[in-house]
Amino acid sequence: MAAEPAGGTLALPEAVAAPVRGRGRHVPWIPIGLIALFVAAAALAPLVSPGDPYAQSLRNRFTPPVWDERGTWAHPLGTDRLGRDMLARILYGARVSLAVGALAVLLASSVGAAVGLVAGYYGGRVDAALMRITDATLSFPVILLALILAVTVGPSFLNVVIAISVILWARYARVIRGEVLTLMQLDFIAQARIAGAGAWRIITRHLVPNTLNTLVVLITLQVGYVIIVEAALSFLGAGIPPPTPAWGSMIAEGRDFVTSAWWVSFLPGLAIMLVVLAFNLLGDWLRDTLDPKLRQL
Amino acid sequence: MKRLSRIVALSLALAVVALTFTAPAGAQPKTELTIALSSFSAETLDPALQGHNVKYYLSLMFDYLVGTTPEGQPSQAGGLASKWENSADHKRWTFHLRKGVKFHTGEEMTSEDVKFSLQRAMGKRSTTGYAGPLRTLIQDIETPAPDRVVIVTRDPTLIIPTYLSRSLSTEGMVLPKKYIEANGDDGFARKPVGTGPFKFVEQVVGSHIKMTAVDNHWRIGTPKYKTVTFKLVPEETTRIALLRRGEVDVTDISRERVKEIQKENFPVHFRKEEAIIHMWWVLGPDGRVGPTKDKRVREALNLAIDRNEVAQSIFGGFAEPAAIPMGLSWAFKDVGFKPTPDMQYAYDPARAKKLLAEAGHASGFPLDMYAFQLPGFAEGKAFAEAIAGYWEKIGVKPKLIPVDYPAFRKLWVDRKAPEAVGYYNVANRDWIGTFALLEKQAYTPSKLNDTVNDAEIDGMIAQVLRQTDRDKINALMRNIFTRLRSEHYGVPVVYVHSPYATSKTLGKWNPGAVMYDLFIDQLAASK
Amino acid sequence: MLRFVSFRLLQSLIALALLSVVVFVLARTTGDPLHMILPMSATEEDYANARSYLGLDRPYVEQYLTFVGRAVTGDFGTSIRARRPVSELLLERLPNSLRLAVFAMAVSLAMAFPLGVLAAVNKGSGIDRAAQVIAVLGQSLPSFWVAIILVEFVAGRWQWLPAGGSDGFTSYVLPGFTLGWFVVAGLMRLLRSGMLEVLDSEYVKLARIKGVVERRVIWLHALKNALIPVVTFAGIYFSILVTTAIVVETVFAWPGLGRLAYDGITSRDFPVIQAVVLTTAAIVAAGNLGVDLLYAVIDPRIRHAR
Repeated sequence: MAAEPAGGTLALPEAVAAPVRGRGRHVPWIPIGLIALFVAAAALAPLVSPGDPYAQSLRNRFTPPVWDERGTWAHPLGTDRLGRDMLARILYGARVSLAVGALAVLLASSVGAAVGLVAGYYGGRVDAALMRITDATLSFPVILLALILAVTVGPSFLNVVIAISVILWARYARVIRGEVLTLMQLDFIAQARIAGAGAWRIITRHLVPNTLNTLVVLITLQVGYVIIVEAALSFLGAGIPPPTPAWGSMIAEGRDFVTSAWWVSFLPGLAIMLVVLAFNLLGDWLRDTLDPKLRQL
Repeated sequence: MKRLSRIVALSLALAVVALTFTAPAGAQPKTELTIALSSFSAETLDPALQGHNVKYYLSLMFDYLVGTTPEGQPSQAGGLASKWENSADHKRWTFHLRKGVKFHTGEEMTSEDVKFSLQRAMGKRSTTGYAGPLRTLIQDIETPAPDRVVIVTRDPTLIIPTYLSRSLSTEGMVLPKKYIEANGDDGFARKPVGTGPFKFVEQVVGSHIKMTAVDNHWRIGTPKYKTVTFKLVPEETTRIALLRRGEVDVTDISRERVKEIQKENFPVHFRKEEAIIHMWWVLGPDGRVGPTKDKRVREALNLAIDRNEVAQSIFGGFAEPAAIPMGLSWAFKDVGFKPTPDMQYAYDPARAKKLLAEAGHASGFPLDMYAFQLPGFAEGKAFAEAIAGYWEKIGVKPKLIPVDYPAFRKLWVDRKAPEAVGYYNVANRDWIGTFALLEKQAYTPSKLNDTVNDAEIDGMIAQVLRQTDRDKINALMRNIFTRLRSEHYGVPVVYVHSPYATSKTLGKWNPGAVMYDLFIDQLAASK
Repeated sequence: MLRFVSFRLLQSLIALALLSVVVFVLARTTGDPLHMILPMSATEEDYANARSYLGLDRPYVEQYLTFVGRAVTGDFGTSIRARRPVSELLLERLPNSLRLAVFAMAVSLAMAFPLGVLAAVNKGSGIDRAAQVIAVLGQSLPSFWVAIILVEFVAGRWQWLPAGGSDGFTSYVLPGFTLGWFVVAGLMRLLRSGMLEVLDSEYVKLARIKGVVERRVIWLHALKNALIPVVTFAGIYFSILVTTAIVVETVFAWPGLGRLAYDGITSRDFPVIQAVVLTTAAIVAAGNLGVDLLYAVIDPRIRHAR
């Protein structure tokens, strides 16, 4: 099943001679551009949107996009089940979905990195205790926790962010701790200690800068993951509740109309795909450029 | 060379993996009937533990004391009692049982089993819907002969046969005394045994329930289908795909996809007016609070809704505007009630705004609306959003709160969210069932669930409880409906028709007009 | 080695114990299961009856200790909603979840394999990039969306494959694919970099210099080494597959653990919630442990890290 390279022998071009490097020195402009586009759209939503994403009109429900014969320019991307404009909802939905991704990841990474740094630095009992908690957290399925929260206090933007962060931090903790453990074996740490540097100084001056690469890669990769999880939660009824426009819940609302009103779920799905793909590709490139050893992330 | 060996190795690996899974299923033989449902509600197979009346599959495994026609009328042909009569004072009801009816274990059904089943349904462990009223009503159960049961009530009453029939809940199901005493309640729930036309085979909770036909059953002859399987398939796209593939014969579908299915020539059966979508305001600890205390506000909230538009758009045209709060239309015929044209709410937002201003709320007021999904009501959240939209247009400030129904129910029953709006797709039912519902939701002494809090209605309900004259009862019921409407004690929105799509080869089927029952046994009947 | 294993095992058990407390508390905060099983017309007395019958009126500590005490023997109590022993429900569902996860794993390997090799051999080219995009797509599409599209078209309209349920080998394909696509990216990445490393290695260079055209030896060697990280991470991916299956199970009506958890949570069925969370946690812990063990076997340095 493996691809046979062209030509008789194993024709390995420069790859053999050159050191193993990332996918290329080429900066991934398309993913970066896509992300910038969506962030801009989200930020400028009130200016660019054709209307109020909450304005219902039952009479106009399920209007197709403008390129269909029944479409109109009043609703360039059509309307949803309650007659709300799709373009407006996608633009405003960008705010919500991106905000969930950014907030959850920032929260999780700060807490997780802190825990990982402390565990890796102090080692011993502190490390053992923290890692037990981390392991316990890692084994709790995110979706179930979010469901439980949704059922207990009701689904909301905040609950989605909290539920995801509460589990996600453990991932960062584990990885950063691993990094720190390796770093702690190195000479310059021992030297700093001998020089009388305290924990805080070592952590902030030496450990953090050296784990920053890993952190950046992880953060980039996780934003997309969070957006996908939000979509799954909306499907199960534990996501961002109506009438707030969020891509995940828009797809979920339109899922029974895949053939009759395909645009209701396809367009937000396309949005999610583009944004998450962009983040994932960017993250991959970052990983390959910053440190190929991170391949197990 | 190595490519070939690699392919061979991979194929072998896949084959090994494949062998660990079960053999592929063959084509669907015509002797199997498969029904896909979006929800099983309570899944326990013990009739006494069914808090929510769902009888789709129970009605095939068990027989009732009193039978019901698909239209909901008591029938002497469909139940274990071939006839019944009451004493002159309406306090003694005698039921004559069929002879020669056997349980699936082979034992003969006698009056001892009937007495045992009824006591069990009324017992402490029972969570059935009408256990409470039966407990207060029934004083004693006598078994003068193996084929005769006499039920003695404390007060004169007309409702005993209906309460023990198929038209309401499961209290009338007859269970095997010896089998349950020998195997215990849990053993019975694991392997239920009844006298119905189908025998239990297996249940995987959350997945399916399978049963097999009994030969030559007294109720329907030898069933046309050897096996009946109920499958739980929550996702609608999947149910429809199963129908298209011929893997299921009957499935419930949402109203919004009916046209799509009909275009492909699948027959769609409707249970007309299967439920009323009814909204109410949660009462405070001592009754109605807030702006809805004023009758004009309640009327305004009703006038603000364009019921025709809701019926056409949200429910795909498979709904009719409703006018009577808690007006279960299958009961109207029974009591001779006919809603007059002026009872229909007009769509009049201008007048609504005027009424609000008159009541002192010209600038509106905040209103909490709980939005949840319910089984059989896929449009739930969209519906709540739509109504909120209408109310916004008259100045009210609705706030949608998405919790699931159990959480809302707690707030409702604990009265912790006064004036909050909730809704339900209340299953339609005959007059006795309707009365039982009103006695819970429109009767102040029932405390927890009351949504009405009106002394006049309380008085009328109390009278019905004690009446044995049908004419007087009917008159009281008509007056209750009229007053519910004139005082706007709720927001009745639409009656919905529930669609069930079947395979093209299924044949005639009348799903009936009985609460939570699909009369699948009629599909399988050979007589 | 043995010390390492028992140490890690002990750590996993402690983590599970911690989790049991958390899940016990969480389950009870979800609300009152009686609202789901008692009819609308139930009175205060009915509620009190049911509560005592189900043991829900005992003090929390007693309930917890009973729960843990029984759980250790495999008895997770009785489901409040189904009134059947939870362990029975678990036994009905667990094999379904495991089989689906195994199948999904096979699918992801079947996809990651050619993609990873293609990418490695054509490094830097358009093919490399295309393979990467295809793999990453699996993580960039909401799985329920993929599932519903597959059900609607592949199963419903074109009728190539079954839409739901779990009978027959073919019914594994669509849910297995949907579930497995999610982890293809990670596997493919591992395969690709593993292949690249080997292809770049001294061994291969030497072989080339010697003029050995023995593709088979080189490829076999390359694959073998590339597969090592894949195998070590199989444990983690497997547990991901088991724990994220809830969406796939819902769409394909697959009777697995995910759906059991969902039904349990929505009906506030404490025993079921506790049992499923602990079982999935145990599976994840087992997966992690397996990975750590394999890693320790391969890289002895880790064994001695604290």
